[in-house]
Amino acid sequence: MQHQDNGIWVSADDLNREDAFLKSAEQEFLLEELADAPGGWMPSRRDFLKLMGFGLGAATVAASCEIPVRKAIPYVTKPDAIVPGVANYYASSFVNGSDYCAILVKTREGRPIKIEGNTLSSVTSGGTSARAQALVLSLYDTRRLKHPGKIEEGGEVKKLSWKDLDEKIKGQLQLGGNIRIITNTIISPTAKKALGEFLAKYPNTRVITYDSVSHAALLAANQVCFGVRGIPTYKFADADVIVSFGADFLGTWVSPIEHARDYASRRKIQSLDKPSMSRHYQVESHMSLTGSNADMRIQIRPSEMGAAICALYNEIAQHAGAPTISGPALNDKAKAGIKKAATDLIALRGKSLVVCGSNNVMEQIIVNKINDLLGNINNTIDFSVLNHLHEGDERDMMRLIGEMDAGQVAIAIVWGANPAYELPNADQFKKAFAKVNTRISFSGIMDETTALCTYAAPAHHLLESWGDAEPKTGHYSLIQPTIAPLFDTRQAELSLLEWADSPNLNRQDEQPYYQYLKSHWANDMKAKQSKYATGAAFWDMSLHDGVFEVPPAPRTVSFSPGVSLNPALVTQPGSAAVEIAFYESVNIGNGQYAHNPWLQEMPDPVNRTVWGNYLSIPVEWDGKNKMTGWMGLEDGDKVEVEVNGKKHVCTVVRAFGQAPGTVAIALGGGRESGGCGVGYGVNVNPWLPIDGGFIQYFAKEAKVSGKVGAEKNFACVQHHHTMGLAAKDEKSGKTINADEQVLAYQGSLTDRSIIFQAHVNDLPKLREKLANFHKHASHLNEQTLYPDRTDYFGTGPKWGMFIDMNACIGCGACQVACVSENNVPVVGKNEVGRHHEMTWLRIDRYYYGDLENPKVVYQPMMCQHCDNAPCENVCPVNATNHSAEGLNQMAYNRCIGTRYCANNCPYKVRRFNWLDYTTADTFPANEERLFRVEEGDIPFYADNLVRMVLNPDVTVRSRGVIEKCSFCIQRIQEGKLTAKREGRPIEDNDVRSACQTACPTGAIIFGNLNNPNSAVSQAIKKQEELAYQVLEEINVRPGVRYSAKIYNS
Amino acid sequence: MSQPVAPVRHVLIEGNKSYHQISEDLCVPTERAPSREWILAFSVASAFTALYVFAVVWTIWKGIGEWGANRTINWAWDITNFVWWIGIGHAGTLISAILLLFRQRWRTGVNRAAEAMTIFAVVCAGQFPLIHMGRLWLAFFIFPFPNTRGPLWVNFNSPLLWDVFAISTYFSVSLLFWYTGLVPDLATVRDRAAGFRKKMYEIFSFGWTGSAKHWQRWESLSLILAGLSTPLVLSVHTIVSFDFATSVIPGWHTTIFPPYFVAGAIFSGFAMVQTLMVITRKVLKLEEYITINHIDSMNKVIVLTGTIVGVAYLTELFIAWYSGYIYEQFAFYNRVFGVYWWSYFGMMFCNVISPQLFWSRRIRRSIWWTFFLSIVVNIGMWFERFVIIATTLARDYLPSSWSYYTPTWVEISIFTGTIGLFFFLFMIFTRLAPVVAIAEVKAILKVAGDQYIGPKAHKDAHHHAQQVAEKQEEEN
Repeated sequence: MQHQDNGIWVSADDLNREDAFLKSAEQEFLLEELADAPGGWMPSRRDFLKLMGFGLGAATVAASCEIPVRKAIPYVTKPDAIVPGVANYYASSFVNGSDYCAILVKTREGRPIKIEGNTLSSVTSGGTSARAQALVLSLYDTRRLKHPGKIEEGGEVKKLSWKDLDEKIKGQLQLGGNIRIITNTIISPTAKKALGEFLAKYPNTRVITYDSVSHAALLAANQVCFGVRGIPTYKFADADVIVSFGADFLGTWVSPIEHARDYASRRKIQSLDKPSMSRHYQVESHMSLTGSNADMRIQIRPSEMGAAICALYNEIAQHAGAPTISGPALNDKAKAGIKKAATDLIALRGKSLVVCGSNNVMEQIIVNKINDLLGNINNTIDFSVLNHLHEGDERDMMRLIGEMDAGQVAIAIVWGANPAYELPNADQFKKAFAKVNTRISFSGIMDETTALCTYAAPAHHLLESWGDAEPKTGHYSLIQPTIAPLFDTRQAELSLLEWADSPNLNRQDEQPYYQYLKSHWANDMKAKQSKYATGAAFWDMSLHDGVFEVPPAPRTVSFSPGVSLNPALVTQPGSAAVEIAFYESVNIGNGQYAHNPWLQEMPDPVNRTVWGNYLSIPVEWDGKNKMTGWMGLEDGDKVEVEVNGKKHVCTVVRAFGQAPGTVAIALGGGRESGGCGVGYGVNVNPWLPIDGGFIQYFAKEAKVSGKVGAEKNFACVQHHHTMGLAAKDEKSGKTINADEQVLAYQGSLTDRSIIFQAHVNDLPKLREKLANFHKHASHLNEQTLYPDRTDYFGTGPKWGMFIDMNACIGCGACQVACVSENNVPVVGKNEVGRHHEMTWLRIDRYYYGDLENPKVVYQPMMCQHCDNAPCENVCPVNATNHSAEGLNQMAYNRCIGTRYCANNCPYKVRRFNWLDYTTADTFPANEERLFRVEEGDIPFYADNLVRMVLNPDVTVRSRGVIEKCSFCIQRIQEGKLTAKREGRPIEDNDVRSACQTACPTGAIIFGNLNNPNSAVSQAIKKQEELAYQVLEEINVRPGVRYSAKIYNS
Repeated sequence: MSQPVAPVRHVLIEGNKSYHQISEDLCVPTERAPSREWILAFSVASAFTALYVFAVVWTIWKGIGEWGANRTINWAWDITNFVWWIGIGHAGTLISAILLLFRQRWRTGVNRAAEAMTIFAVVCAGQFPLIHMGRLWLAFFIFPFPNTRGPLWVNFNSPLLWDVFAISTYFSVSLLFWYTGLVPDLATVRDRAAGFRKKMYEIFSFGWTGSAKHWQRWESLSLILAGLSTPLVLSVHTIVSFDFATSVIPGWHTTIFPPYFVAGAIFSGFAMVQTLMVITRKVLKLEEYITINHIDSMNKVIVLTGTIVGVAYLTELFIAWYSGYIYEQFAFYNRVFGVYWWSYFGMMFCNVISPQLFWSRRIRRSIWWTFFLSIVVNIGMWFERFVIIATTLARDYLPSSWSYYTPTWVEISIFTGTIGLFFFLFMIFTRLAPVVAIAEVKAILKVAGDQYIGPKAHKDAHHHAQQVAEKQEEEN
């Protein structure tokens, strides 16, 4: 009974070949049958559950796999200028109130990501400041105003189109009421032209200019003495002796980048055998950035400034045979110091410079007279080129407040200024401002003043704008946009022209203000030169170079004989127990930069604190072995301070060099609205007294309470500050090494090979000391079992660095440049307070010398790229290793985060991503801790807008990996490629590290050590006997060399 | 076992035990329902284990930033705990291996528990090198295995990699040794058990029948493993000490570390054995097996190793001064009088001064003193590791980077959590296997039982024991 070929059957039906079976066997799936069944084919309950289960499961699995959205949109038509992966640089200018820097803006794929200095400018010569470096970040501020509109209660901007806004505002303007435009100093010739058109259209308009930190007394004094209301050029490069009365000329005063360059050129040791350097006296109460670089600091109480100036005048006048004046009394120590300064000044007549940061007219007049007597006028003080960065006068502002209060102002336009925060009498301003009918703000953010306005007409960010600047007479520079406006904003100048119905504006053009600016340059500016015949050629070249400089017409001035010196008008010393000084912070100015996290997180150069302003208090020596804070206060303690009857709770930081009986605090804290700086520090502007219409940056009396608490997240990146302080021993009366007394151990600090310093006259001794040190170190280092590896770097480039500590002024530009170049995360105050800061480059600051009035040395410290690196051999997974070019490399992908390398780094420059600072990783849980500003805020680098600032050439590091300075490996790579493409060996200019290009003084030199002609090799060769490696004797063979610090007191 | 026994030998098994009695005494804890004390203690241990798990998950989820470590002090409680736990483990190995080779009979009373302690301590220690990693999920990078990344190998120069080998070797050898010893005893438990328990123990005892061949192989294996473990007693902590000794940080870079770490490890290990044994013998009523003589012997080891450690501390200070090297001098000056001075003095008091009390026979033989001092010693040894790690890092070469460290709740939870985990594992162990090695105790009964030696010995001890056994058999 074989029914089937293979003899297999599946059932009795099959075996018997029954019909029903055969029929059903033909239809494999029985669907028809089922469909014929009553009700058709219905899924059973089980089918339903199965399908639902599968569906639900599949949906859940699919939904839980979060697929990140990557927005990468290719160009449909590639713009000519943009090659993906290749950076474009545009010459522009950084202008913000009184800050100016000629810059190049680096853009990648149309995004500005980095600021470099423009070497063509003779004002800044390619140097930058921290503020300039941080400019790109403010472009991507998420809190920028996104559109024009009417400002409602609570600061909400109700959107209006520009057309509607223009109509509304024009309607108001045409009513004929008084119009007042409140600005900081405007240095743009074209903006001034636009303003002129506005003024012509609305003649009842007046422009009120003040500066966030006033230089009005200086202007007034120059008007009186020389008939010029302007700030001359101070030639620090020509000055052998510099005396500064509280002018922080390297940090904030007048034109710091320019001054830093000139100053440092006279501080570098050019010749070891015949060293010559300028001598710098600084008269001040708190340690400013400039004071920290001084050879001699003369400590005074802030109210003794007038007395000190009079004392110096009398010394000079006696010698010059001029009549002396009877100034107020000065403390004896300061008197001796002034006497010494006077001797030097007299000895080097005509080659000296006396500057004064005071805002008292008579003090400035006396300083002018001193310079006159010393023959410095028209010599080191040059009036042919004026500095235009400070032209404001707060007295105008005070008058305006009166006007507004009287209801005489119908329309106020605020342009760039923020009087509701910056003015000492901001309360009065606010009250009066409210009486103005229409209040318009050009501010790009909702700052304190904009919040009080009725209309917001937000201006472009500088990097989106067209413009020009004339920071100094005849020194013009252009501002060009490097990105299309991110938001619906409009240039302030254009708004003014629009409202003025300017006939010179081509409204049909896509960028009317660009045309306006161009025509101004192609016509009016072109006339100032003869090189280019056509306006177009002149414009193209100027735009390309970014700067256009006209040789100044020489102008000499003479001290007006009619000016009388009246010592009664100088500041009279106060008698209160404690005086307080207020100073502009290097990072955040008077709050203008408070909303820039890079600047907030850059430590204050002197105090080394971040995110806020802290009350500096003097350090006291008990005569035995203790350095304590004044009144026993510790860093981070809170005290209540009362000035002018107004109280604030401030956090204390112990500050070496702070004059006894004085305290100091920076301006710029306690911002109330507008960005991430809100809530950090205290706003001390209301404490500033006004004397004779001028804002004074000190108060004669401050009542400081005892400790009222302690700040929880006090953030200071450096806990130990001293490196060889000397003090008097109470018992023996001898001068002793105070550090050793405090640590109770001989040689504990001062014998470390970290800092070498000496008086300029002791150079031979220092050279001998260093020679012995090198000998000792090499003896120690020779004791090794391992073969020498120096021949390893014989062929290609060997990267190295030289840091001239005599040129480093500690300004911090390099630090912000590094953050910008290398995508270093911002971690917030709390994290910095826990010493979780991420900076690859830091500037260590040590005090040495007299404990009560110490000297300072700054030491930029980054990965030393050791050739015998201790970090490399301890990494279990080879995540950090050495390149054949002498680089200590980090492979982030390989790093598992044991942190062994960081422990074993003698320089402590390795940084660990403790938390998810960049959202580069998959664990979002810790994000809310980073910024405490608002609920639901995300980490700083998590926002898509902010992330536009990231350098695409540099990996954004994820949580749990170590990172550190790479010597800008991406720049090295780029330079190597350039050289290769051009078929030549790599040269110095191909590779320059970010810190090097940012430095205003040329203190950092990076390059190829294997090339004997490279700048770094030359610099090391030149200063060979002063050069040393930090911790040379531990045989790690660092690739960075430092020069010894030389002072000239 | 008719070896001649010198009358001066200590009695190691008290209570006139017969072989059967020994099986009975030692197996019963695994057979009866857990006591209330055990349940209570186990609940506490479980709670701390849960805390440990929570804190570790927290760390992994949020990041190492949840700890108090910072840019200067990159290692703190994590590695302190690691070294501490590894050290504790050493006593087990020493007792089981070196004392076996030296034929120290007294080890039989404590070796099982000490070996278990080793295993659990290494389990706790092994957690730290893992969880201290920033990216735990990539921990497999530390193993040298062929891979598609080049292949990219581990860095054989790194002491941290040596640690990986040292600890994994140590763990596997210790585990083998411990389990080998357990096999005959598990068979004993099996023979007494019924039903499911019998099946389980049958599996775990690998079909042990007690044949002469089994015993012979067992003896050989024990000896081989003892031979393997002996160098480990010295090498593991030597390698752990290399983490520090091979670095460039003053205070870490010292050649004295290997012997100093080994002595410290044995010191702390014995202290931990004491802590555990004092409790165990009381709770499990094993006073007749873990006698005062055992405690006395171990206290002698503690006073010896404690003194070695003390000498090492002083040598360190002397060498630092004698070196004339300022960084070294400052590091040690700072260790003693710096910001963490209290931890140095804590260490000195606990590790050097307190064990000297054991010169007194009365204190050495006092349960309370022993228990108290064993805890003091372990606190001291924890301080030692903290002093070496955190104090040193807090003040290294560049004063600008000096910092201070305080732990966060996460680190405290992880540490106390591992103590919970340790007791959690140990308490499970006491319920599953005989805490004293039955077979080995039986093997020394005739040379160390109090019916055979010592003042209470019967003249006819052997006979007497036989009689007792027969009588029991009859009763059954």
